[in-house]
Amino acid sequence: MRHTRRTRRMPAPGRKVQLATAAMLLVATTVAACGDGQDDGATASAPKAPATIPELTKDPLTLSFIWFDWPPAHALEDFANAEYKKERPNATIKVNTVPNANWHDAMFTQFAARKTDFDIAILDSQHIGEAVTNGNILDITDFVKNNIEVEAYNPYLLAAYGQFPQAETGKRDENASLYGLPLLGDTWTMIYRKDLIGDKPPQTWDQMISVAERCQADNPGVSGLAFHQANGSDAAAVTYNTVNGVYGGNLWDAKTRKIEGVLNDAAGQEAMDVLVNKMKPLTAKGSGNWFIDEVNAAVAQGKACIAFNWIAASGGLLDPKQSMLGTTREQILDKLGFATLPSQKTNLVPLGGMGMHVSAYSAKDNQAEALNFMKWFERADIQKKWAAAGGVPSRTDALESPEFLNAGPFNQVYTDSVPRMRDMWNVPEYARLVDIENTNVNAALNGAKKPKEALDDIAKEQQSVLDSSSRKGGGGL
Amino acid sequence: MAVSVDEAVSAGPVRDHTPPARRRGGRGRSVLEVALLAVLAVVMLFPVLWMIQTSIKENRDVYAIPAKFFDFQVTMDHFKDVFVASGGGRSALSVSFLNSVVVAGASTVLATVLGVPAAWAYSRFAVKAKKDQLFFILSTRFMPPVVVVIPIFLMYRQVGLIDTKLGLILIYAAYNLPFTIWMMKGFVDEVPAEYEDAAMLDGYTRLQAFRRFTLPLLVPGIAATAVFALIFSWNEFVFAIFLTSSDDVRTAPPAIAGLIGGTTVDWGLVAAASVVFALPVLVFAYLVRKHLVAGVTLGAVRR
Amino acid sequence: MSAPLPLATDHPGQVAPAAPPAPGRSRRLSDRGLAAAFISPALLLLLAMSVFPLLWALYLSFTDYSATRGGPAHFVGFGNYTAILASAQVHQRALTTLIYVVGAVGLQTVLGFTIAYLISRRTHGRGLLTTLFLVPMMLSPVVVGLFWRFMLDAQFGVINSMLGSLGLGQVEWLTRQRTALISLIVVDTWQWTPFIMLIALAGLTAVPKYLYEAASIDRASEWFRFRTITLPLVWPLLLIAVLFRAIEAFRLFDLVYILTNGGPGVSTETLSFHVYKVAFLGFNTGTASAYGILMVLVVIVLTQLYLRYLNKLKED
Repeated sequence: MRHTRRTRRMPAPGRKVQLATAAMLLVATTVAACGDGQDDGATASAPKAPATIPELTKDPLTLSFIWFDWPPAHALEDFANAEYKKERPNATIKVNTVPNANWHDAMFTQFAARKTDFDIAILDSQHIGEAVTNGNILDITDFVKNNIEVEAYNPYLLAAYGQFPQAETGKRDENASLYGLPLLGDTWTMIYRKDLIGDKPPQTWDQMISVAERCQADNPGVSGLAFHQANGSDAAAVTYNTVNGVYGGNLWDAKTRKIEGVLNDAAGQEAMDVLVNKMKPLTAKGSGNWFIDEVNAAVAQGKACIAFNWIAASGGLLDPKQSMLGTTREQILDKLGFATLPSQKTNLVPLGGMGMHVSAYSAKDNQAEALNFMKWFERADIQKKWAAAGGVPSRTDALESPEFLNAGPFNQVYTDSVPRMRDMWNVPEYARLVDIENTNVNAALNGAKKPKEALDDIAKEQQSVLDSSSRKGGGGL
Repeated sequence: MAVSVDEAVSAGPVRDHTPPARRRGGRGRSVLEVALLAVLAVVMLFPVLWMIQTSIKENRDVYAIPAKFFDFQVTMDHFKDVFVASGGGRSALSVSFLNSVVVAGASTVLATVLGVPAAWAYSRFAVKAKKDQLFFILSTRFMPPVVVVIPIFLMYRQVGLIDTKLGLILIYAAYNLPFTIWMMKGFVDEVPAEYEDAAMLDGYTRLQAFRRFTLPLLVPGIAATAVFALIFSWNEFVFAIFLTSSDDVRTAPPAIAGLIGGTTVDWGLVAAASVVFALPVLVFAYLVRKHLVAGVTLGAVRR
Repeated sequence: MSAPLPLATDHPGQVAPAAPPAPGRSRRLSDRGLAAAFISPALLLLLAMSVFPLLWALYLSFTDYSATRGGPAHFVGFGNYTAILASAQVHQRALTTLIYVVGAVGLQTVLGFTIAYLISRRTHGRGLLTTLFLVPMMLSPVVVGLFWRFMLDAQFGVINSMLGSLGLGQVEWLTRQRTALISLIVVDTWQWTPFIMLIALAGLTAVPKYLYEAASIDRASEWFRFRTITLPLVWPLLLIAVLFRAIEAFRLFDLVYILTNGGPGVSTETLSFHVYKVAFLGFNTGTASAYGILMVLVVIVLTQLYLRYLNKLKED
């Protein structure tokens, strides 16, 4: 304050200017926001893709995907650039990757921006509802009718990655609209130490728990179980949902949109009790924030008797550089076995994996290329090549082909699991539902909440999210 | 006659003149104090040393239980992985480093170009409600980024700045501007206004007097200020993670954060990337050590 | 903000270097023009990137607008605000944030001041010591968060490994309600103790030596000297440092995002983290804006406090 020492209060003219500026800005904002609103109204439902692929461009074109950063994303980019280029030399494939924790946000913030740097979004099956309701992805029902051999698939696989509203578990509603096609199938595999518990995997969930218990007691330093418990992504939620399914529970009643009283019924409570009181004590100390990579690390370090992980994320387990179990792939495979999940009251397993969905905001040429790519990708021969390249195909013929079954020790597990799959809700409110479930299951697993209290809270809060459309303000809390 | 700005504000704590009077009281106490200080220093520095060590360990040793402090195989592979992709060519991480350089550099230049003249004007002229303006400017810097990012996101979506370097540059410039103005105003205050007055008596205009006489004296101050702005935008994470998504735009902090959460975590790589990322900041911080107090308080406190 | 509006139409440029300065009134005018020309670009950028977004958020906070769902925004009056203020979820986050801010800032003040005091009593190696202590503060929160997450890992983290060598059991640092919040506080303290130290050191070195000398003639006890000379002189500066840290800690997001992701359960979710979830998980932009505005109000109060003390310090 070198020159004049001014009074602290702003002089009156200054204030007026300030107020006027504020008012002007406010008006501008309102106008901008309203303009935005009208814009949105016009595109409230998903735009339709053409039934036949439009003429493709001859100019160089980059077809961009968005996925999270993991080996299948790199495999897809390499595979597509090697194989798709043979058909379409002018096309280059780019798979943009974001951190897993940021995957949903990265896609939906771009959707919200009405401008995407990707042409094909690789959405989780449960993201479809949100994307369709907001009109972010193309309706490809007619395209599929004309271009895809739907009978070549297990119907539920087509439904899970494409259909909205959601199909009943195990089925497909042929009159419902489709918004995507399967890209990478996935489910949980049970990974067990053959050298510690024997070659034969446990068949029931109860058996699995007692085998793990014995193994842990016999092998100090090795924990009985390792599974996803983290509160990010969908980690802890999938774990609970899996146990819930196996013990005969239901996540919701889709017809009446009821969660309260369905999720936390007797079967649901039993599942929570098994998870927290029987399974959790068999896990390593401090494993309460484990997700895919920590479970893999525990297996590779030889610290777990039985582990559960996504098949598509299990490839690294066979890498001798990362493993303490052996110095060659064969040595590791002598110790590690892969099996379908044990069953109990039901034999349900979680549906994982992702589909391909065309961004409503990408250029016409790119959308045409995207449709062409999808048609190409779902061809029988390409599906087999994708399998050989390390991907998980969806066509039944590819799933039963030697190309797939011989490509990895866990691939048979996937093929056997397909008829047993169940998915979560794919409603527009998915992101919030899964967050509620994740945080509460995580809290129960880590002793921050009693299991019953956690489950009741999940049911109550999820129900209020589903019912919240009529509320005045405060949505999303 | 010329006063070095450097010297004028060098009362920073790093210089060790004015040692406080040593008490005769006790050698024993002094030893105790040194010991305590040593322990605290070790505690504060251990994580950094551990990070450096992890970056040169093989992954097997990284996971070793009990932790290996000395007997491990030294490897430089992690550093190679930071820059070179597994299949050869540039890694995504190195691209993000480059993006960070561009974004931090450009935003710093912008903040400096806008901030220095403003600071000079605030220092020299009787601006209306100067104090209010200055305090208003500083308070914009205190807004929670998570809150600001929501409307910024909506705004950027209207003008197509989502997931662009320009978008990041603008928001970082706005984020650094309050700091630049406050910090630079301090430096300008140190340069006597009489120089300019004298020059103007010689027939120079005010602007010329500023450019020919004051500006050269401000260069060290501008350098210091710019370095701090550079550090702030280099380290920034929240805007980066919400406003960018593609590899071509993503800066290093979200890219490093993205190293975990795949299917395996390569802690050696995380450590190496962190070391490479932190190194320029530490070098820069060392260069401007005299101005640290002003720098870290956004130019508000100058001693 | 209220920069004089007649913008620089008169450019006193380099055209006539030798021209004698016009006397009196017109020169003052050109000064004003110059001031406006120099200040307004900066203010414009701040208006566009800080004020305008906040006003926009203010407008949205009275609506049920969603950034993704689209459709026109409906006015809901103070609905968002009352819902937030009444929400038990929000209260829980507020409490977490409060514990975190008080814990972290308190701890780093004590530690930072202690270190500064010890350093100020050394004659040799002060420069080196200070520089070493400052390293954590310069690191990106991303690096700090990731690395502490690695070190605090219950299974193979170095902290538990060292505890193990000392014969102590493993601690679940990041996965128990209490320890997770403590871990967050510890990590923040590790990073920001140097900040307090730096400011306190600046205050301590500025205490005039003659005051101590006078006191030592009076044979005053060390504690007495500390209480009556050192502390009162350093206090104003320290207070500013503390307030500064409190504001920063209140805004904390990145460390939570990386270190605990808010877990276990939601026990380390701060207000910032909760705003993020409301804004980006459900895209309830209206609610998130109201939530944000409420946070901004808290920040404004803290900032006012900070600025007032800053002002006082400057005037002394």
